[in-house]
Amino acid sequence: MTFGQPWLLLGAMAGLIPLAVHLFDRRKPRPHPFAAIAFVLRSQRRTASRLKLKRLLLYTLRTLILLAIPVALARPELRRPGAAVSRAVGPAATVVVVDRGLAMRFVDGESLFEKARSEARSAIAGLGAEDPVTVLPCGPEVTPPTAPGLDRREARETLDRMVPAWSTVDLGRCFEVAARALEESPTAGKRIVVVSAFTAGSLRLETPPPTVRVPGDKRVRPEMVLRDVARGRKVLPNHFIADLKVEPAPQAGSRSVQVSFTVRNISDAPAGEIQATVELAGRVVGKTFLALAPGGTAQKTLTVRSEVGGPVAGAVSLSPDGLAEDDRRDFVVQVPRELRALVVDGSPSPVRYRDEVFFLEAALSAPSSPLRPVVKDATAGLREPLDGYDVVVLANVPAPLPEEVTRLKAFVERGGGLFISMGDKVEPEPWTQRMGDLLPRPLRLVKAAGSEAGAGDGRPAKLGDVHWSDPLFAPFSGRGREGLMGARFRRYMLVEGGTRADGSEVLAAYDDGAPAFVTARRGRGRVLLFTSTLDRDWGDFAIRTSYLPLMQRAAAWLAGALDEREVVEGRVGQTVTLRPDPQAHVTAVKSPSGAAVPVQTEPDHGLKVGPLPEPGLYRTFDAGAQLVPGSQFAVTLDPADSDLTRLDESQLQAYFGEEAIRGPSGTSDRRVPIWTWLVVTAAMAFFAEGLLLRKP
Amino acid sequence: MLAKLAGVKLRARAVMEGVLSGLHKSPHQGQSVEFSEHKEYAPGDELRHLDWKAFGKFDRYYVKRYEHETNLKATLVVDASGSMGYRSAPLSKLEVATTLAGTLAYLLVRQQDAVGLSVVTRAGAADLPPRAAAGHLHTVLGALDGLQPAGGTDLFAAAEHLAEKVRRGQLVAVFSDFFDDRDEALGRILALRARRNDLALFHVLDPAELEFPFDDPTLFLSLEDERRIEVNAREIRESYLEEFRAFLDRTRAACTEADVDYTVVRTDEPLDAVLLRFLGRRQRRAA
Repeated sequence: MTFGQPWLLLGAMAGLIPLAVHLFDRRKPRPHPFAAIAFVLRSQRRTASRLKLKRLLLYTLRTLILLAIPVALARPELRRPGAAVSRAVGPAATVVVVDRGLAMRFVDGESLFEKARSEARSAIAGLGAEDPVTVLPCGPEVTPPTAPGLDRREARETLDRMVPAWSTVDLGRCFEVAARALEESPTAGKRIVVVSAFTAGSLRLETPPPTVRVPGDKRVRPEMVLRDVARGRKVLPNHFIADLKVEPAPQAGSRSVQVSFTVRNISDAPAGEIQATVELAGRVVGKTFLALAPGGTAQKTLTVRSEVGGPVAGAVSLSPDGLAEDDRRDFVVQVPRELRALVVDGSPSPVRYRDEVFFLEAALSAPSSPLRPVVKDATAGLREPLDGYDVVVLANVPAPLPEEVTRLKAFVERGGGLFISMGDKVEPEPWTQRMGDLLPRPLRLVKAAGSEAGAGDGRPAKLGDVHWSDPLFAPFSGRGREGLMGARFRRYMLVEGGTRADGSEVLAAYDDGAPAFVTARRGRGRVLLFTSTLDRDWGDFAIRTSYLPLMQRAAAWLAGALDEREVVEGRVGQTVTLRPDPQAHVTAVKSPSGAAVPVQTEPDHGLKVGPLPEPGLYRTFDAGAQLVPGSQFAVTLDPADSDLTRLDESQLQAYFGEEAIRGPSGTSDRRVPIWTWLVVTAAMAFFAEGLLLRKP
Repeated sequence: MLAKLAGVKLRARAVMEGVLSGLHKSPHQGQSVEFSEHKEYAPGDELRHLDWKAFGKFDRYYVKRYEHETNLKATLVVDASGSMGYRSAPLSKLEVATTLAGTLAYLLVRQQDAVGLSVVTRAGAADLPPRAAAGHLHTVLGALDGLQPAGGTDLFAAAEHLAEKVRRGQLVAVFSDFFDDRDEALGRILALRARRNDLALFHVLDPAELEFPFDDPTLFLSLEDERRIEVNAREIRESYLEEFRAFLDRTRAACTEADVDYTVVRTDEPLDAVLLRFLGRRQRRAA
């Protein structure tokens, strides 16, 4: 038991007054001869026991009154095991800071978060009746709490509403906010109760401990009460997916995906037999086991095959541990889909390598290619129904007939891709006339830049100005880029200059400035004009190492497959920018739990989504609340937040000071004010004494 | 005023003068010189009372009836135990009892009635047999005057004694506080009534006994023996009054049941008023 004003206990000596009166103030009875003494004797016998009890009660009540009042004035408080908040004397404004970071989701029999919540409740219950209190849920975003008040209900409601966050919090920042809240309270005492697991990531020890400005513009350190919900543990053992890379694996076959992940074990004990499972489109497609040394790391790569192409959602899961939230990571991967290409060979040859599309067919048919080429001669090819093809390649084809142009135009406007390459069969004037605006730019004439032997009217041309940022050329870097730039072009078709109206764009030009690759959008499709040949007739590009990937990429790009490969991935708490198909009209994004996520349209028509509240798969919806297919994206936890190493006792002591009170449940005391009960007891005793005196 | 008068004689005389003439008519029809009325003869009437003149006039037998005031015998019983010596008022209970007894003796002798005296103490009863002579009155008053309260109350023994001494048809007036530890004592006294005696009880009580006006811690001492008790009077007052009221109620009820005249006499009230009340009741009964 403690006393707010212990010197007032001297007044408790007043409790001896009844005893003193009883012992020293006994009046001598007056003798009185009396005739009816028999009646006196009878009355005395009848009332003796009752009077004795009454006297005893009166003595007790008077002693109680004289004892209770000074003891109550001394403001006694009982200490009950397991719930104390403070050793402070007198009232103190209190802010209960509750850590709701990711670590609090750790389950150790009971969730640390629930444990923290009950610890906070216990802390509030243990406060003195005159201690103003408020609760500060410490999350990634810290909202200043209300000023400390005597209304416990509001504090408890704040605790009830609180939910754990998905990332580590900054306790130091929360202390600052708590200190500001304490400054708003006129109560002289200042106290911060911290309920946390005290992981290393939650408190930067280099920041100064909190201080509170008090009248006189002085800064004082508030009393710190630490309630460690993970007391006794040096580390919260946790294994988690530290890194994940998912990408198509064309070398392993079409629709193959390579899943590489790194698992870390933050523990002082080994973690064996951890099962890792890979899911794709809701099906388990791969499993493996890992064994991790204490504090160790393991990396695994699994190649799995998807049954469907396009954007596919998946996840990597580990056997769950105390923090199951970081044992699963979702992803979205663009699984390459098969593309059908109609290759119209304008200059077939019985000699294979002299065939116009010999090199192209080889490039498109490579094992890692998602393209399935179908080669036809010009006559058959231009009459082939185009439904079912993604790309049409016109390789050195004579000018198509008008009806053939019409079909090609319809094909492109529906979204198909058209690749046009030059050659001896291409006559600029009829081509330009018949193809009309389907051509990115009108053809003019063939330019000879040099002979095969290096003699002639000049040296062969090379590519000069290339838009490397364009998806078509973006993968070319290093030696790949050198290979592309090393190609030589002896002849190429010159085209007319472009206008804004035709919508054409030169993606690459020769070193003399003449366009080499010109593209234009026509309807929903694209047209790509290559102003040289696909075989070796006009240059050596076909035998360059850059030829194969560029042809595959060009075909995929024309089919729109490159656009699909733009996979968005975000981190919890951050924002991402989506670039959905403009025709999809995405208006809403929902988190895995179904909560709407703020969406903001940016000037470049991108959608800024966030902050992202939780990990998992996010889905997008159009104005009609219909799911937009293929636009989902994954949000992951920050792997750094999964390190649940705890601050040790000496670090906490160094930061908070030795005077900080350690108050975990079950080991410390809780203060229960009892002076009000004493006052009530004294009042009741006074009332009872009056009743007894009134009664004969 | 009575307290200033020394001796029973003076007090009794003073009280008697306060009582209206004090006369009472004898309820007994007997030998008298004063004619009262005629009554038609009935068998059993004494022939010597036949009015022959009336027979001559009316040819019917009439018997003469007379009033007489003189053939009453009365025994005055006075309790002189130690408890009768208590006083909180000017007169002790014994003084009140002897004054009332003396006054009554005066009144009776003045009417030619015979008066006797029996004094009750623990040692027994001292008797003066009833006589109507004027000199006997002085003897009775002298005996009353010399009484001193002493010893315990033994009404039971006194009743036994009276039963032997008192003949039938007497007026027996008992002056006492009736503080006898034995419950049956009152019953024995009331038994005198069964012998066709006219019994009157004067219950003499002190105001302090009736009201118990004590507040402080008090050491109560017995007037008759060695008993003593220290109590906080205020604490037992209620209980005492309950006990005392119950005692009075029991006594009154027993007297009513036995058709005995019962008078509570407070020692602080005027005694002539007490006697007037008593005499008035007797006149009403006689009528």
